[in-house]
This record gives sequence, structure tokens and C-alpha cells, in this order.
Amino acid sequence: MRQTVQAATLLAAALAAPASAAEGERIQITGEIIDTWCYFSGVMGGPDAVVGSAHHTCALWCSAGGIPVGLLGEDGEVYMVLKIEGDDENASGDTNLNLASHEITADGMLYKRDGLNYLVVEQVVTDHGITNLNHEDYGVVPGFAIPEPKP
Amino acid sequence: MIRTAIALLALGTPVLADAPPLPFDLGGAYTLTDQSGATRTQADPDGHPQLLFFGYANCREVCSAALPLMAQVVDAAAVEGVEVTPVMITVDPARDTLATLGPALAQHHEDFVGLTGTEAQLQVAYDAYEIETEEVFFDPEYGPVYAHGSFLYLLDAQGELLTLLPPVLSPDAAAQIVAKYTGPQS
Repeated sequence: MRQTVQAATLLAAALAAPASAAEGERIQITGEIIDTWCYFSGVMGGPDAVVGSAHHTCALWCSAGGIPVGLLGEDGEVYMVLKIEGDDENASGDTNLNLASHEITADGMLYKRDGLNYLVVEQVVTDHGITNLNHEDYGVVPGFAIPEPKP
Repeated sequence: MIRTAIALLALGTPVLADAPPLPFDLGGAYTLTDQSGATRTQADPDGHPQLLFFGYANCREVCSAALPLMAQVVDAAAVEGVEVTPVMITVDPARDTLATLGPALAQHHEDFVGLTGTEAQLQVAYDAYEIETEEVFFDPEYGPVYAHGSFLYLLDAQGELLTLLPPVLSPDAAAQIVAKYTGPQS
């Protein structure tokens, strides 16, 4: 958790354009609710390993601990989830926990600012559950996400 | 392409006056107490922009990423001639006392300001930034673990919210956003 986050994609995006688009854009988008810290930092594994069922336990820990969740859209873009139906706060919350690693179709407002995508999910139209069963390839990522019981 | 973008950014003027209104209804006034016992509002007494975070010093979850990131951003911004004050408002006033806040935050950066207050005073700040705190589990080794907001908020010297930063950005990326809004200070 203390390692430097090298969010190259976000860096490029953040540098690409000045703040813009005060008004939101209504969009409906399908993608996976991801743990953004592990996805961008790369310290827990590559991008294919820190999503899906392989990373589900860690995603729960991170979401519960306050790491903002994102929606990894089918377009490959990450949308930082500011709010989501059912939760008042702008990060964490039961809905985010329940949807960790799930593929969902979300309807909401997209705000672009500082080159980043922010999403306020007004409705989870469809919850497809965990569809990326990559634990069959990667196991649990990282392995220590499931702690050994203390004697 | 990134190098070109950095060069263009360096040549650009601060966009503070041109920044569009924040599309999120966040921010507002608060009156709290810093680690020295002094009253502090949302305005920075030294006239610096501020990087605000809601967390707690004993947090081993998102704060262990966010607080060092804030320190790195402050140092990176200083290199660019921008003095930024890192501020943390506690979500755990029971453990973050006036006596403990300062030393804990100084481990991350000597300029860190820790703020606490009465339940009512803190609630005003939480409401302004829509921060909800909930104990998610009890760590037998380190105590209660709270869920809380994790975004960093960039405020101007008067305490007006300029923008927000996800704590997953690299320090350089975050510092570039800070510089974009605040610009070098003369």
C-alpha cells in the first residue's frame, strides 16, 4: 500500500486537457466494478490479474478501507465512481462492497474533469454478478488477501 | 506525447480564474481545532492552497496510501513553486487527539495540519464533503477500522473547493493537477 502509484494512464489523461465539462453527460455503460488502487498501481499484479474473481477478496478489503472503486468499461476506460445508487457517500459503502468485481450496467452522469472520468451512478440497471472467473488462471491475487488465521 | 503535454502545461497560465464550476456540490465552511490547539477554519492562515483529506492517523487502509501521497504532492508542488498545505480532518476524534495528531502526521510531512473538534463541529465538515464514517470491522491489533471518503480535495487559500483528486494518482500526476489550478506563487 505504501508503494508509489504509477498510474501512467491516469497521468497521461490528467495532462491531456484542462478542466472541462462542468455539465455532466448521461451515459449508460457496462463494465466491471474494480479496485482502482490495485488496478493502477500494478503492485499486486498485472491488469488482467487484479480484476475479476481472482482479485475479489482484495477488492473487498480495499473498498471497505476506502479505496475508491471504478467502473472498467467495455471501452477500456476507467470511470471513477463518485456515488452509486444506494450509498450517500462518495466512496466505499455497502453498495460498492456488494458490487465488487461484478459486471454491471450502470446508468448515470459522467463528468470529465482534469482529464479524469467521474461517474455518478444513479441506477444499476443490471447486475450480472462476477462474470470474469479469472481465479481459474491466477488463483487468489494477492494470495495474502485471505489471511492465515492466527494461532 | 506526455513530454509535450508537460511542456504545454508548464507554459500555460494558471486556470484558476478560468476553471469551470465544479460539477459536484461539495465543500463549505468549517471551524475546527488544529494540533496546536488553535482554531482553524477552511481558510489557510498562511494564504496557501490546501490539500484536504478526511481520515485518521491510525488508519492502515486508504490513509496509508493517501497521506504519503499528499506529502509527495506537497513536495512536488513546492519544486514547481507552489506551496500547498496538507490538511487532514480526522474521522476518529477519539484516537486522534490534539496530543497525538501532530506527531502522527509529522511522520508524513512536517507541514501537515491535523484538525479535530467537537462532534458537531466535525459533522459540519463531514456534511460539507458528504463524508460518512462507519466502523467496518475491529482489528484486534490496531483497533477499529473505518470506512470513510478517500478523495483528496484541493482548496484555494480561502477554502473554496477547486477540484478533487483520486488517491490512486501518481504524485507527479496529482502535482500537475494542483499546479494547474494554483500556479506558481510569487
